[in-house]
Amino acid sequence: MFKSSPETTRRIKRFFKIKRAIVSLFILIILYVISFFSELIANDKPILIQYNGKLYFFAAYNLYPDKTFGGNYDTETQYRELSKTDRFTSTKGNFILFPPIPYSPYTSNLNELTKNPPTPPDGRHLLGTDDRGRDVFARLLYGFRVSMSFAIILLIIEIIIGVIIGALQGYSGGFFDLTAQRFIEILSALPFLYIIILTGNIFGQGFNTLIIVMSIFNWIGLSYYIRAEFLRIKKFQFVDAAKLLGTGDIKILFSEILPNALVPIITFAPFSLIAAIQTLSALDYLGFGLPAPTPSWGELMRQGMEHLSSFWLSVYPFIALFLTLLLLAFVGEGLREAMDPKEYARME
Amino acid sequence: MSIPIIEVKKLKKYFPVRANILFMQKEYIRAVENVSFKIYPQETVGLVGESGCGKTTIGRMIVHLEQPTRGDIYYTGENTRRFRGKQLKAYRKKIQYIFQDPYSSLNPRKIVYNIISMGLRNFHIIKDNRKRKEKVSEILEQVGLPPDYLFNYPHEFSGGQRQRISIARTIAVKPDLIICDEPVSALDVSIQAQVINLLKELKNELYLSILFISHDLALVKHISDRILVMYRGYIVESAPSASLFENTSHPYTKALISAIPEPGLDAHKGRIILKGDVTAVTGEIKGCCFEDRCYMSRDICKREPPLGRQLIPGHVSYCHFAEKV
Repeated sequence: MFKSSPETTRRIKRFFKIKRAIVSLFILIILYVISFFSELIANDKPILIQYNGKLYFFAAYNLYPDKTFGGNYDTETQYRELSKTDRFTSTKGNFILFPPIPYSPYTSNLNELTKNPPTPPDGRHLLGTDDRGRDVFARLLYGFRVSMSFAIILLIIEIIIGVIIGALQGYSGGFFDLTAQRFIEILSALPFLYIIILTGNIFGQGFNTLIIVMSIFNWIGLSYYIRAEFLRIKKFQFVDAAKLLGTGDIKILFSEILPNALVPIITFAPFSLIAAIQTLSALDYLGFGLPAPTPSWGELMRQGMEHLSSFWLSVYPFIALFLTLLLLAFVGEGLREAMDPKEYARME
Repeated sequence: MSIPIIEVKKLKKYFPVRANILFMQKEYIRAVENVSFKIYPQETVGLVGESGCGKTTIGRMIVHLEQPTRGDIYYTGENTRRFRGKQLKAYRKKIQYIFQDPYSSLNPRKIVYNIISMGLRNFHIIKDNRKRKEKVSEILEQVGLPPDYLFNYPHEFSGGQRQRISIARTIAVKPDLIICDEPVSALDVSIQAQVINLLKELKNELYLSILFISHDLALVKHISDRILVMYRGYIVESAPSASLFENTSHPYTKALISAIPEPGLDAHKGRIILKGDVTAVTGEIKGCCFEDRCYMSRDICKREPPLGRQLIPGHVSYCHFAEKV
């Protein structure tokens, strides 16, 4: 009985016609979903253990103390050690199933390496190891999850703040609008990097600190677009009509005007994700981003600069970053194209 | 007669055009100047004038979409100037507005049901969802649209149908007065007649008053009981419909009437062509507002503003030479 707005249907149809964008979007979604199961793909904790006839699943999510497997400690089992002990190998049928990449991004594999880290790619470490002997592939995989999650959280906060402030400015206009605009100008003139360094020093570097500090600045760009849209749409007669029919201001903002002002939000989103990932990588590169053990692409690239002869430290994170940003850019371009009221499409 | 639903007293609206911040001098467009009139229950009042004469501004001031610079609007004897919050909401329920442009006056992202039921919900007229839906279908039928259009979007309708939806959403809240701001000027002539006739029917069914704003004198004559003629923000003549045409007593009205196209061989015989063009007024007018374009202009017209004179009961003209027109 209810039909979705025909304009929306048309746009979705147009977006699905743009192959490059839709393929990129699917790849990104699948990769992101997969990255949530990184613990089962690249980890030094096994997926399945059979010990003395009993099965133990998903050591990554369940903590099995050493005692479970006949050890002496209450601490977590060192599974790689365990697989070599006599008490484990002596019983027939005991086995450990490790993930496809049996290395965690956090543990150094110094005792297994033949040379000093960073070691070049070989059969065991597909993309080599970093300067602490950690598997580069594992770190790239976890880094993707961190980067994307960071960007998405930041985007959501950005949309919420940007829409509310832009909407209030555009709708109220006049004095409030101009005053707020001046405040925004002051805010946007603050040196971003300096504040990141400062807050990092005062509150400690961390995911949450970084999100909060970045979301203080991030919404500004979006609020400009939303403000302009609201300034334009509030002049339409249906807004007056709604007012005369007793609709309150808040309801006019969100149920009359906002649905007509979604285009900039949607087209802005992928590019905002790009910017967030770039910024995070840059900050990590400079050492002001996420704290040390967190797997991150920027941090790997920094190691690459310190070890110029180890190409795998700079080339692989670079390729990962490049591909992610490229896919996001394709999605963004496709969305922009689909929202374009002009009939012809430049990207097919 | 009874108490007027709306009484407008000396209404003025000046729009600032250029503010000189250095000397704090402001220039204004004088959109509405000292306009007074009354609308009685179940009366249709026509407001005629060329574009830019301030007729829409008057309509918008009555429903509080603009604040008057000076002057007051009384709703059944009560001054509406201080209406805020609940009072304003109650007032708006009684005075509804039909917009000129049927395209921009309907939210493209809302289905017809939501558009029409908006008032019913906001004014808490019908709280029950199912009953509200029945009511909306009923109203759709009343304005001559099949009720199965309930879940369609505005862009699926023609201009005339859209204007019917506009009418439906205003009559849904059972107002006393509907202000129609050129409701048919964006429509084809054949559709115009349908919409006008619909308005007339609804007026009789629902005991409405209508303030009909238009630039089309022939149309206004067809629908109105009383007509106000405006020029440059002033009301120049106010009379019952028939009297305005029979005993025209303002040169501007006469020129307007002569411009109504009439079928026939000697159609353009008595056409009065006015010299010049309407200019925006930023300064104060000393004499008569129509003086610079009037074919009867004398010295006195430049010096003194004409006072309203009643030549026939109920027929007021603002012209120094009303008798000679």
